Amino acid sequence: MKTVIDSTRAGKLNWREILNYTGLFRYLSLRDVLVRYKQTWAGLLWAIIRPLIQIVIFGFLNLIIQKNADYKNAFLFVSSGVIMWQLISTAITDISNSLVSNSNILTKVYFPKILLPASSLLVCLIDFAIAFVIFVVMFLILKGAPGWEILFLPLVLIYAIVFCFAVGMLFATMNVKYRDVKFVLPFILQIAFYISPVFLTTGFYLERNVPEILKDIYMLNPLVTILDGFRFCFFGGEAIHSVPLFLGSVGITLLLLIFSVRYFLRFEKTFADFI
Amino acid sequence: MSSPIIKVEGISKKYNLLHKDGGTSDSLIESASRWARSLVSREKTHESREEFWALRDVSFEIQPGDRVGIIGRNGAGKSTLLKILSRIVLPTSGRIEYDGRMASLLEVGTGFHGDLSGRENIYLNGSILGMSKKEIDRKFDEIIDFAEVEKFLDTPVKRYSSGMYVRLAFAVAAHLEPEILIVDEVLAVGDAAFQKKCLGKMREVSGGGRTILFVSHNMAAIQNLCDKCVYLKNGQLVDYGKSELIIPQYLQSTNATSSVDLSNRPDRMGNGKLRYKSFQILDKNKQATEHAMCGSPLYIDLDVDGAAGANLSYVRLSVAFDDDYGNRITHMGNDITNQLFEKLPAGPNKIRITIPKLPLKGGEYTVTLFAEVNGEIADWIQEATLLKVEAGDFYNTGKLPESSQGSFYMEHSFERIS
Repeated sequence: MKTVIDSTRAGKLNWREILNYTGLFRYLSLRDVLVRYKQTWAGLLWAIIRPLIQIVIFGFLNLIIQKNADYKNAFLFVSSGVIMWQLISTAITDISNSLVSNSNILTKVYFPKILLPASSLLVCLIDFAIAFVIFVVMFLILKGAPGWEILFLPLVLIYAIVFCFAVGMLFATMNVKYRDVKFVLPFILQIAFYISPVFLTTGFYLERNVPEILKDIYMLNPLVTILDGFRFCFFGGEAIHSVPLFLGSVGITLLLLIFSVRYFLRFEKTFADFI
Repeated sequence: MSSPIIKVEGISKKYNLLHKDGGTSDSLIESASRWARSLVSREKTHESREEFWALRDVSFEIQPGDRVGIIGRNGAGKSTLLKILSRIVLPTSGRIEYDGRMASLLEVGTGFHGDLSGRENIYLNGSILGMSKKEIDRKFDEIIDFAEVEKFLDTPVKRYSSGMYVRLAFAVAAHLEPEILIVDEVLAVGDAAFQKKCLGKMREVSGGGRTILFVSHNMAAIQNLCDKCVYLKNGQLVDYGKSELIIPQYLQSTNATSSVDLSNRPDRMGNGKLRYKSFQILDKNKQATEHAMCGSPLYIDLDVDGAAGANLSYVRLSVAFDDDYGNRITHMGNDITNQLFEKLPAGPNKIRITIPKLPLKGGEYTVTLFAEVNGEIADWIQEATLLKVEAGDFYNTGKLPESSQGSFYMEHSFERIS
């Protein structure tokens, strides 16, 4: 096995090499899982408690603002939004910290750096899976089996994962050089939360008396398509308000993924110099 | 000769030093404003970027099974070279080719997580260092045996003593079996009582035909472990070859300007009839040097100036060494050796102290100089300079007691007499 080191800066996605490091990937992820709730009293229960608290808070807000009379439906609606939002926000935050928080490894050992954001994502998915299972059980109890729309669930989840990974990688790479990310990202996420249909319906946003152009921009927001898509799988109804804008938001996500991964690879080999 | 396992061709590494606030990781605003300013004015912004070549055009080849020491003073580029070889930093130019699996040990316990148990950390650290799960499974018992932590396997390592922590960390590393092993000064950190065992283990590892690259300041360890040496100075390769040839060259390399000028020291006491002007150490060949070598002869040249017109009778001179903690290690004085200078001429005098075999451990010692003329203190400089001592082969056996076992070496021998 011959290895060549030269001064070429741009990296490539070397799948064969990444496959050689599956063991490391497993232990990095395992570490993150084990460490996440270490020395907490509630332990893994936090994966349920955190979304639950949010569901209660935003459930109330939903009832107050949207005056939904159907409590059961409102509860399930807000729950679906909150668990998906938890996945998105924690995944983006954790991925964007993944390189910096592992700088001790990054500066001492060689490995494909993409393992770090990938394992952060995996850990967030485990949290999501726990909350998701509980949501499904509640859904089955309160509303019964979902319709044929549930078949789209895998697609929606892949879409969400791709989006989180793309945004997370972008911030992760920036974070290596500019720690400003640590301060900026929470605000970005907060704004994103309020302009996305997490606890209010898309209809509620679209019925506001605002210029059409803002509504179009709103529909281009990948978060809107992810959240609406996720709900479509369970509640059915209208998933796509406008086909071109829907395609636009998917396109934005894909472009973002390509850009982020290339940006990441461009700097991958020099992380140790800057971190 | 077989084909080399590592081929290093013209490796250079340049760093840009930013002279303003020095940080490499400037904030977004700063780089944005620098960019904006560069748009407006064509002249250079006032912070200057200085180029610093940590390595410059370094080339060498290593044969399979070679154990190569990388030596040089601080800042010579040793660590940079290791980091480039381990693919952690990118060279600015040049090319390296190597064959086989390489593991680098730039630190013991890379990736250790305080909240994880010893068992979990063995697997995590092992996989970070490039071991597969099967490999770790196979060596698990050996690792915990080596580290002597069986009882604490399920305790989070943050509760470990620092000694246990380092032992466990090194135990994992010592059981790596790559074709090429890169080791940076890891033996210098932590538990001293563990060093001998580690050195032994590493020799055992390299005995299996493995190629080792080893950086250390400890010449005894290098001499002991490495058959070849790469000698770096200011980022450039000075020489590469057999250890026996390179190590003396390195030790003698220090420029003759290492004499310590004491003429303008304000922090001195005494009536000034006699003043120390300079302090200079010489190696066994009476060549000026910066580093004293443990186990070798050492000469100290002192320049003392007698004030014009002063009556320099009964001159007592003494030199004392203190360790890092301020403990007085030893004291040398010409009154004790019955060599008082009954009369010294005014003006410059050169005094030489001869130490036939330096018994001090490797390390740094503070030197205090004292002079008395006719019963009165003439000059007294505390912490006049540092004496740097290289760990050397005091007993000519390639072995030294563990560093926790006392602070100097004493010649001795054992024999059965009845």
